[in-house]
Amino acid sequence: MRFLSAIALALMVASPYTMANQKLDKMSKEDSNWVMPGGTYDFNVFGEQTEINVNNVDQLRPAWSFSTGVLSGHEGTPLVIDGMMYIHGPYPNNTFALDLDNPSEIVWQHKPKQDPAARAVACCDVVNRGLAYWPGDGDTPPLVIKTQLDGHLVALNAKTGKEYWKVEVMDISVGQTLTQAPYVAKDLAIVGSSGAELGVRGLVSAFNVKTGAMEWRWYATGPDEDIGLADNFNSENPHYGQEGLGQKTWEKDAWKIGGGTNWGWYAYDPDLEMFYYGSGNPAPWNETMRPGDNKWTMTIWGRDVNTGLAKFGYQKTPHDEWDYAGVNVMVLTEQEIDGEMRKVLTHPDRNGIVYTLDRETGDLLRADKLDETANWVKYVDMETGLPVRDPEYSTRMGHRSRDVCPSAMGFHNQGVMSYDPEQQNFFIGINHLCMDWEPFMLPYRAGQFFVGANVWSYPGPKGNREEGIGSGQVKSYNAKTGEFEWSVMEKFSVWGGTMATAGNLVFYGTLDGFIKARDSRNGELLWKYKLPSGSVGYPLTYTHNGTQYVGINYGVGGWPAVGLVFDLEDPSAGLGAVGAFKELQNHTQMGGGFIAFSLRGQGPFDDLSVGEYKPNN
Amino acid sequence: MGLSIASFSAAVTAYDGTNCDAPGDCWQPKPGFPEKIEGTKYDPKHSKEELGKQQKAIQAMERRNAKRAEHFKKTGEWVYDISKLE
Repeated sequence: MRFLSAIALALMVASPYTMANQKLDKMSKEDSNWVMPGGTYDFNVFGEQTEINVNNVDQLRPAWSFSTGVLSGHEGTPLVIDGMMYIHGPYPNNTFALDLDNPSEIVWQHKPKQDPAARAVACCDVVNRGLAYWPGDGDTPPLVIKTQLDGHLVALNAKTGKEYWKVEVMDISVGQTLTQAPYVAKDLAIVGSSGAELGVRGLVSAFNVKTGAMEWRWYATGPDEDIGLADNFNSENPHYGQEGLGQKTWEKDAWKIGGGTNWGWYAYDPDLEMFYYGSGNPAPWNETMRPGDNKWTMTIWGRDVNTGLAKFGYQKTPHDEWDYAGVNVMVLTEQEIDGEMRKVLTHPDRNGIVYTLDRETGDLLRADKLDETANWVKYVDMETGLPVRDPEYSTRMGHRSRDVCPSAMGFHNQGVMSYDPEQQNFFIGINHLCMDWEPFMLPYRAGQFFVGANVWSYPGPKGNREEGIGSGQVKSYNAKTGEFEWSVMEKFSVWGGTMATAGNLVFYGTLDGFIKARDSRNGELLWKYKLPSGSVGYPLTYTHNGTQYVGINYGVGGWPAVGLVFDLEDPSAGLGAVGAFKELQNHTQMGGGFIAFSLRGQGPFDDLSVGEYKPNN
Repeated sequence: MGLSIASFSAAVTAYDGTNCDAPGDCWQPKPGFPEKIEGTKYDPKHSKEELGKQQKAIQAMERRNAKRAEHFKKTGEWVYDISKLE
């Protein structure tokens, strides 16, 4: 592994600046495209279009729809590139290409054959968060890049759907799976890891899109040469910690099964050539079995894309006691904070804190509670960067902790976050979930679950715990001031994330099966539509033939719906989610598909001849 | 942004995360819990063999992937099944 990494480093340093990188960046800024997770490298999940706006959004109607033919949670959102839509689904991770001029005909489909045993090592439904795209360079065709639950990363010819290459990233026999969307920067396909609930040590890898060869691979725990630290790692913030901590903050070899998988989202700054993501929770959930800060789990990373080497790492939740897996979305913006213009990243964490860091230096600039009911932490000390813990809400062996906020499901989870660059506000879908938690001792056996805690999640203090509702919020957040400009409650956790537009709208799907639009300036509910099933994905927008569309995946699932999906009743089943979402099944059932909306439902089939059989004479 | 380690007090009653042995190393046992769990009732007693399995699996995948990429470089054709590669 180290040998390969060294070769990769030498190759990448020698390689010229690639045009493909700029091409994707440029394409992402066109209204007709949605070329990557989050829409652009900033990951602001924002549409510049104003055709649909606060004054006419009540005229939004379905224009067309597509069923994926599978059930379970449909996370992420499709891609739209050059008049084609690429739709992806949960296990077995089928991919469909649809021509937007006539989405009634499937241009190509890719249906992987996977070992069904992969399902048994997925902690939280067999979800997948979407596709990535590489635009081609003349020698190599444009590629659609996908992950499979069974651990493969696959590149498909974007025109034909034929497999271009297929590599093994994870091995289900040791508990490893893939659920995240891969990410393309320069000529690299970057991919993370899943399985901290099975003791998987997290890793992030990059493959050359043109050759399928691995360029670099770095881990979340262990020796520094495995983690991939640049010579100047954290030199601007040495108090975050620097050398040796991937082993020193663990007892003995516990780091080998230490978690820190990254299955969330990436963002990329093409000028700095750095990419950003968060590493997940340490394993097991039983904190007593892993004394130490457990670095570098729960860490915000700024890494050089060419070598993968880390320039900074900030651990948000040292010695996690709550499964606040630190994998959530990163949104890149420029902000004037405390009188200084900064290039920053903003990141709403599972632990109930929304962090803003200078994305060049790693300087911590803001750390605000997503909701004041978060109680494991009193506040984050901005000088030391340390969360000041409230020992009353700690977890430990021989103790049932009660009313800990957030729950392990977080005040925020895998949902994306949108940002309106004009208003300079973030729109955050939030969970309002707290929990009881009691750990137990257990052995590690590769390929088996390694959790070690009984958990009971339930709606937080502002919701209705008895009836199992009031577990969601949507808020508008300003990183310059640290203030929330508006806040509304939702019946269920807002799991899939939000999408904002220049029409002063913020769109999101709900677990109970609505897509909703609010006025992004004040939170007023302006429109909603009842989808066939709950949504755990995020909306996208694109313009095709002069018409703006808003689309969203439906198909409830993921962690909040494991009770519904797997027919569970014990409130502590599904890692504590079943009790919290017992009411969900009275609002939705499983589904799987995509719906595109437009004003008055105008679309490709307004011309009735589109998609009709045409006899030869 | 500098942090003075000397300013930290060693005397604590409950673990609140602010007393650091070194930068980035601020863990402390909770009242009644040991500094090291080895040999205590919380000893996880991990099996060395089990702990080594992930690295073995990853190295095997890396070897197979390298063969596939090598073949692709030579022939322009991706063959996943390594038994079909010489």
